[in-house]
Amino acid sequence: MELSRRRFLGGVAAGSVLAASSGLPRLAAADEVLKVGIIHQGAISDTGWEYYQAAARLALEAAYPGRVETTVIENILQNQDAERLFRQLASQGHKLLFGTTFSHYASLKKLAPTVKSAHFECCAGITASDNLGIFEARHYEGTYVTGIAAGRMTKSNILGWVGAFPVPQVTYSVNAFMLGARSVNPDAVVKIVWTNAWVDSAKEKDAVAALVAQGADVISGSPNTPVQGLAAEEKGVWAIGSTGDFSNYVKKAQLTSFVLDWSPAYLEAAKAVMEGTWEPKTRWRGLGESGFVKMATHSPELPESVLKEMQAAEQAIAAGKLHPFSGPINDQNGTQRVAAGSTIPDDDLRGMNWLVEGVQGQLGG
Amino acid sequence: MTDAIVSMLVVTLVAGTPLLYAALGELVTERSGVLNLGVEGTMLTGGIAGFIVTFITGNVWLGVGAAMLAGAAMSLLFAIITISLKANQVAAGLALTIFGTGLSSFAGKEYVGRSVVLEPSSLTTALGQVPVVGVLLGKLHPLVWLSWILLAAVCYFVYRTRSGLILRSIGESPSSAYAIGFPVISIRYLATLFGGAMAGIGGAYVSVIYAALWTEGLTAGRGWIAVALVVFATWRPERVLLGAYLFGGVTSMQLFAQGAGFPVPPELMSATPYLATILVLVLISRDAALIRLNVPVSLGKPFHADA
Repeated sequence: MELSRRRFLGGVAAGSVLAASSGLPRLAAADEVLKVGIIHQGAISDTGWEYYQAAARLALEAAYPGRVETTVIENILQNQDAERLFRQLASQGHKLLFGTTFSHYASLKKLAPTVKSAHFECCAGITASDNLGIFEARHYEGTYVTGIAAGRMTKSNILGWVGAFPVPQVTYSVNAFMLGARSVNPDAVVKIVWTNAWVDSAKEKDAVAALVAQGADVISGSPNTPVQGLAAEEKGVWAIGSTGDFSNYVKKAQLTSFVLDWSPAYLEAAKAVMEGTWEPKTRWRGLGESGFVKMATHSPELPESVLKEMQAAEQAIAAGKLHPFSGPINDQNGTQRVAAGSTIPDDDLRGMNWLVEGVQGQLGG
Repeated sequence: MTDAIVSMLVVTLVAGTPLLYAALGELVTERSGVLNLGVEGTMLTGGIAGFIVTFITGNVWLGVGAAMLAGAAMSLLFAIITISLKANQVAAGLALTIFGTGLSSFAGKEYVGRSVVLEPSSLTTALGQVPVVGVLLGKLHPLVWLSWILLAAVCYFVYRTRSGLILRSIGESPSSAYAIGFPVISIRYLATLFGGAMAGIGGAYVSVIYAALWTEGLTAGRGWIAVALVVFATWRPERVLLGAYLFGGVTSMQLFAQGAGFPVPPELMSATPYLATILVLVLISRDAALIRLNVPVSLGKPFHADA
């Protein structure tokens, strides 16, 4: 009795594995529900990196009501746990899995080719590979436009940047900020203070105090919480919501902001899986239609003329007519990095390890 | 120029205050012979409790009170496990830290990224009028100079009162103290609860006043620094003051130094507070007699009344 039941169950299991592993992970019927899995490193709150990931997921659910079922796992700090959970989700019938941070990229690069029952997309990855698509935002387009506002509104000509880590994504963001400010105010400089943490509220507050003590009157950075904006408000200087809009909390001091909108990536990937046309793509987009960077709010005190300059730059960048990194550009030591009349290639942006003329600070050892 | 100096002093004092509270509490606990490594978890629990109550009621002092209660509750748990049930203090302390961190993240889930906007306390504005020192005092929350009063009280208690003497004797030799008739278990409980309450205040200071918002793991290891500071201070309260402001000061000063354009890699600057603490610890430990004279002999050992 037992042996035959065991054999029967084994047969059913083997049969279902065979059935599941045959063919590509596309939906069997048009009305089948697409299961999407998303893993977050931190907790989803109402501002910051995880919030914008969650917002994109909500947009996906709204676009395909009843046809998409999402499983969201938060607070997975360790990559090993994330890797294990991705495997688990893939084995539970999820056909599309999203990694939401650069730390997931290395694990997914290894994992994706071996797990063929699902397709993988990673936010903030570098390039697409086998079974893994990536999507990243051209933060520098947003920081360039906010730099214009900063350059016009500064009275001391000193701008402040609260840097998390000296990685290329932050480096090109602060460089574009400087270039944007200098495009309207050639005397502006940017001072950087590195906190060596993506989120450390107390340190960020002290960093703002340090920058203000040096005379900075517009503070930018890569804030995940309102603390930088609130600290700036306390000191009576402007704050820029870079990659996040904190105007709910920072009532008076937020000069302007831009947000990250990942929904085009989520929607395109889900649509492709549903139609069976998914292939690994590298989506690196900034401003513009179906881009990932969207200019958000601006303070009522921002003059019309400055707003018009910002909008003109935004439209030019979106149309491909203006590249924030168009030559001639020199680095801090005076060496020319981008020749006159040319624009910087994408690979140089990805590996950027130099600071533009006018930025005062170190990149570290 | 004075603006910059005042700014730097304020930042140093603000950064050192949570360390001072937590370290003073831990000092009293360790003086009774109980090694509570759960300070980080207790600070976080106190931090979220203080934050939630302040967020809801708008009153900082209610928040601080709630933080004290939360911190004391966490350390009560620790006390039951280590003093009554005689479990290993190191392991229980580590478990308390992990538990406190998780509990605070769970309780604070609704509040991540939210901030608390406080009116400057009337006491602070009144003190701001005082000539000369008013420039500094007017920028500090009352909890900062309350920590100085606490320091003075702890110094007086530990060295000048009979109860303080009893506390120290229990830390040195609980069996002798027990033989004389002192209530060893009760005093250890009280010392542990005091330590927890102080760590709670330290955590609440970070969440309600220093950062004024809540994120997971807000204290970023300050609880561990507080434990180290007690050793750094060779269990003497006045040296805890020095250690707290040294560490807090260097942490904040390196940001100012970066802003001023110091040509040192920022990662190295970030490490300076820890390097400074290690350096002082090494210098202190060179004199073995100094350590032997000051460390409570029964630290970390459970007390068995019948042994």
